[in-house]
Amino acid sequence: MTPDALEDFLSLSVDLTAFERTDLLGTGLARQYLAKVRDACGEDVVTALLEAHRAARTEAAEDGARPDPQRLDRALRHRIFSEERLGPVARNVIKLWYAGTWYGLPPEWTDSYGAQPAAETSTVTAASYQEGLLWRAIAANPPGAKAPGYGAWARPPAIEDRYLKGRSHDRTG
Amino acid sequence: MIETTINDRDDLIKYLHKAMVLEHATIPPYLTAYYSIHPTTNSDAAHIIRVVAVEEMLHLTLVANVLNAIGGTPDLTRPDFVPSYPTYLPDGERDFVVDLRPFSPEAVETFCKIERPALAPDGARLMPASSTATPSLVTSPTREEMRFYSIGEFYAEIIEGLQVVAAQEPDLFCGDPARQVRPEYFYSGGGQVIVVSDLNSALRALEFIAEQGEGLDGGIYDKEEELAHYYRFRQLHFGRYYQKGDSPHDAPSGPRLDIDWDAVYPVKVNAKLADYPVDSELAQVARDFNAEYFAFLGLLDTAFNGKPSLLLDAIWYMFRLRDGINRIIRNPLPGSGGLHAAPTFEMPTAVDSAPGASRGTDEAARAVAR
Repeated sequence: MTPDALEDFLSLSVDLTAFERTDLLGTGLARQYLAKVRDACGEDVVTALLEAHRAARTEAAEDGARPDPQRLDRALRHRIFSEERLGPVARNVIKLWYAGTWYGLPPEWTDSYGAQPAAETSTVTAASYQEGLLWRAIAANPPGAKAPGYGAWARPPAIEDRYLKGRSHDRTG
Repeated sequence: MIETTINDRDDLIKYLHKAMVLEHATIPPYLTAYYSIHPTTNSDAAHIIRVVAVEEMLHLTLVANVLNAIGGTPDLTRPDFVPSYPTYLPDGERDFVVDLRPFSPEAVETFCKIERPALAPDGARLMPASSTATPSLVTSPTREEMRFYSIGEFYAEIIEGLQVVAAQEPDLFCGDPARQVRPEYFYSGGGQVIVVSDLNSALRALEFIAEQGEGLDGGIYDKEEELAHYYRFRQLHFGRYYQKGDSPHDAPSGPRLDIDWDAVYPVKVNAKLADYPVDSELAQVARDFNAEYFAFLGLLDTAFNGKPSLLLDAIWYMFRLRDGINRIIRNPLPGSGGLHAAPTFEMPTAVDSAPGASRGTDEAARAVAR
């Protein structure tokens, strides 16, 4: 695994998950997740996904400036989410970060692009359930792990401002 | 003959403030080592460090109880409450360095030194502070030019001073009993909290602190038949557990204790905010953590100043700090040659915190409400 691929995967994942790079690295699982996507979809698909993401960012940035959020949103939809081969993989990468589980790709996908040995639904490591971003997003602890302390449940969840309704995430960073 | 440096209540109060600084100062080094361990690895070692760190939190609380009992006001948010690391603690003639460093043999050696204070030869409890080049954390607050031979001698001075002053001032224990932290607000935290109301209970609290570190009368177990901190850490040194019947002079003879020194995030030793790339997201996260930690000290400060029930909130606050430390430590520190980031425990100065943020109920209440 080249360091560049990890950087590209992190950049892609920041745009896909709306979590910051430090949050993603803070799970301690970025490398394992990239390896999992490779094992489940094959090297070619991962390379194409990372290239499509780079192209979307370039398209959304005028004259080398930071990408414009609206343009980036549109470019990601055009180049990745609505693309038959890359769309389901990108949606799975989101689920991977949020739930810590790799979900098997739809049969239509494997029929068209081939099944890899590790394509089945599976958890990545024992830690990935605990580190799922969904728990941070809803400001709850993963049940059975990361104990929040007695009585913590009596308080409203402290959801970070940027994830509250009505706020849009600036994904130009 | 030792000349006392504690002559009245004010002297005692100064000493107890210093004791709170000292008890707290050991916690960031323990936490840094503890959280540098990869999750699900080194569970024996992690457990040993965790137990000691939690007991230091009890010690901090016990000192606060003694200070409150004699009418003092704990202050955990003043500028020098958290030392700048590396800091220095006395170990006989010389000081030793206390770093924020990852779990490693060096860290274990430091922990052993923290927990086994040297016994001073007769008359050598205090020595000129200028005899070492480093600024010891354990100087006398009433005779600034003098430093203590060891942490143990520092506590011995307080214990003797307490008895002297109690004999002179019948109303020494004039503190409001409502300011005492009682067992209903401090539990599962390294032993039972001691409520301080008189000389007897004050001495019990301070002797408990001294004993939990180094064991009773030099033995490896304390009164509660628990292994003293020093010997817990010695187990990491030897890679083997102590068992009943072992002598303090010999290596432990119990079961093997497996340590994987490599299953550790190589965090930068004594990381400072200045080590973080300027204006980076990671630098902001590290700054935010320091602000959170400072707000947490504000919460403890309020709890120790008449609102002990706030310690219940401190529990989940600490768990949130835990998650924050873990996130920082798993991030590589750019430009460090492969090291990882770590919390710097640099507290915001008066300049960069909001007016009135240094202490008080409002600040803590806001922190709690978040």
